[in-house]
Amino acid sequence: MREEVRKIQELLRGQIYIADASVATSLYLAMRLGKPLLIEGPAGVGKTEIARVLAAALATRLVRLQCYEGLDAATALYEWNYSKQLLHIKMQEATLESAAEKEARIFSEPFLLKRPLLEAITDPVRSPVLLIDEVDRSDEEFEAFLMEVLSEFQVTIPELGSIRATHRPYVVLTSNRSRELSDALRRRCLYLWIDYPTFDKELEIVRAKVPAISEALSRDVTRVIQTVRKMSIRKVPGVAETLDWAAALVALDTAQLDQQVVAETKGCFLKDESDLRRFETEVDDGRLKDVFDSIS
Amino acid sequence: MTTSETESLLHNTVLFCRALRERGLMVTPSEAIDSVVTLDAIDLDDRQETFLGLRSVLTSRVEDFPIFEELFIDFWNRLSHKQPRKSIERESHGHVRLSSTVRGKGLAFFLEHWSDGKAGAEEAIMPVASSTVSMAEKDFSLFTSDELEEIARLARRIVRRLARAPSRRWEAVRRGPRVNLRRTLRRSLSTAGEVIQLSFRRRKPKKTRMVTICDVSGSMDFYSRMLLQFVYGLQTSYARVETFVFSTSLERITENLKQRSYDEALERLSKGVGGWSGGTLIGASLAAFNSGWPRLVDKRTIVIILSDGWDTGEPSELAAEMAELKGRAGRLIWLNPLLGSPTYQPLVRGMQAAIPFIDVFAPLHNLDALRALEQHLVL
Repeated sequence: MREEVRKIQELLRGQIYIADASVATSLYLAMRLGKPLLIEGPAGVGKTEIARVLAAALATRLVRLQCYEGLDAATALYEWNYSKQLLHIKMQEATLESAAEKEARIFSEPFLLKRPLLEAITDPVRSPVLLIDEVDRSDEEFEAFLMEVLSEFQVTIPELGSIRATHRPYVVLTSNRSRELSDALRRRCLYLWIDYPTFDKELEIVRAKVPAISEALSRDVTRVIQTVRKMSIRKVPGVAETLDWAAALVALDTAQLDQQVVAETKGCFLKDESDLRRFETEVDDGRLKDVFDSIS
Repeated sequence: MTTSETESLLHNTVLFCRALRERGLMVTPSEAIDSVVTLDAIDLDDRQETFLGLRSVLTSRVEDFPIFEELFIDFWNRLSHKQPRKSIERESHGHVRLSSTVRGKGLAFFLEHWSDGKAGAEEAIMPVASSTVSMAEKDFSLFTSDELEEIARLARRIVRRLARAPSRRWEAVRRGPRVNLRRTLRRSLSTAGEVIQLSFRRRKPKKTRMVTICDVSGSMDFYSRMLLQFVYGLQTSYARVETFVFSTSLERITENLKQRSYDEALERLSKGVGGWSGGTLIGASLAAFNSGWPRLVDKRTIVIILSDGWDTGEPSELAAEMAELKGRAGRLIWLNPLLGSPTYQPLVRGMQAAIPFIDVFAPLHNLDALRALEQHLVL
């Protein structure tokens, strides 16, 4: 393993993020090749978390752009502060400034509202981490616009001219696959798929994130969750749910899991009414029997 | 690394990229360049790291992973030069059989010509791509229940597009992309001509409605369940969808499909609907639709009929009803699963009678066909 990859893995671990080799390698290459990293995977596996942790590990700023339907350039890049401009014109009505001077003044940086994308490429000190979250929720038009920004790291504001990135941001995009992203955008990015963690990895995450948990309990919690993921339910619990549940059990001073405790706290990891019913049937069918048996 | 080793590394990387492209991955020269840079940046002795690094660069969706994995083995073996050629090929063939049940001709061809170097790969690019079998090309009639989820996902995607299409009209909103100057000025009158609050406007979303009329007769048995899954996906995420099924008579099942899960919806359907998988009277069923729900269809409505056109009724009746529907609908789409078969000719009498009135006549037998449908669903 390359020294740099190991170092990234350690840096992430320092931020209590358990990264396997694929995450570390992809992050390393994204930085090395200067390309955006597109992360896909089911909900709750820590896609967004990667960007946050990366920023903390590099001791740099995290600029986040949350995508949604109808997101446009004005909200993502920049907008003129209309109200301030109007107010300024009113206040300066009495001065002898020419119209051209006035215009130059109100279309200058103090009247510019920087939105996340512009914010990310104009950082004066160091490269920030730019997180473009849930890019699949934006529409095709915005995707095209985004690509333009990501390929050049330069934006043009008609009244001001071109602004080029002083420090190129590290770009992380996440997608939940609610819409197929364009091939062009995919091509421009490195690709990382994060799946639900394996038993060992999840166990490690639980112990790292909920340090107060006992060894035995963490093992049982992870086993139950891993079994639940194999059931045919609608909202499969992510790692976040595992951690919620673990924290809840610790708060309740639970020494060990049994059917009773699971039934009382299952709302921590099942968030859908039909899933709860489904889970009960599966438990009655003895689906978790070997887990409970091994506990007692 | 010696010059000749670098040469062979470059050569193998280019071949690897070509093989991936041949199997349908988006690998262009720019990705090939990136992968060469990648090989330089990572630990080439570490198989896992090489694998992960190249996968990050050369794939762009999780569906690409199996193909990548398959071809990487050969690439790795070529790279390490650890085994004589014969054994490499045997091993890789064996692995392919294990890891993938649908092995395209592309790979076999590629492996045969792998050792010949450039000339072989050159040849391999052209003729074989179309014969590769993937999930996207698989006929619905061969689908397992797992793959139904993919259909539902696609339906949701189409719906999002449908729901988002902007019309040319504007509407005033509290916060939007454009300033509504007219209203801003008007409002400023109340503050003695001073503009204090801006008003905005945006494009009104189009209110496209969709009516699906689904054939559930015996000849459609294979497909009707898949198609209902698709329709269910459409309807759960898009309010303006009306759904009908017919075989010998017509029934409105919009309400039955309003269940939280598809299984529940199917259960309600099987209780509520008679005449599944019987004979087919398309003309009479459309007549029932035209007279029973005339207000459902206007110029902002897309009407989709899912049927193979095997009609036991009178073709003239079907033609008359199709003409009426065509006159009122914004777009009339007929989806025929049989159209996916290369030998199919729409010779069925019913189909013949209906064709003159159809705006879009398209296959609907696999996922690719569903994807292609997307472009027709915006008015």
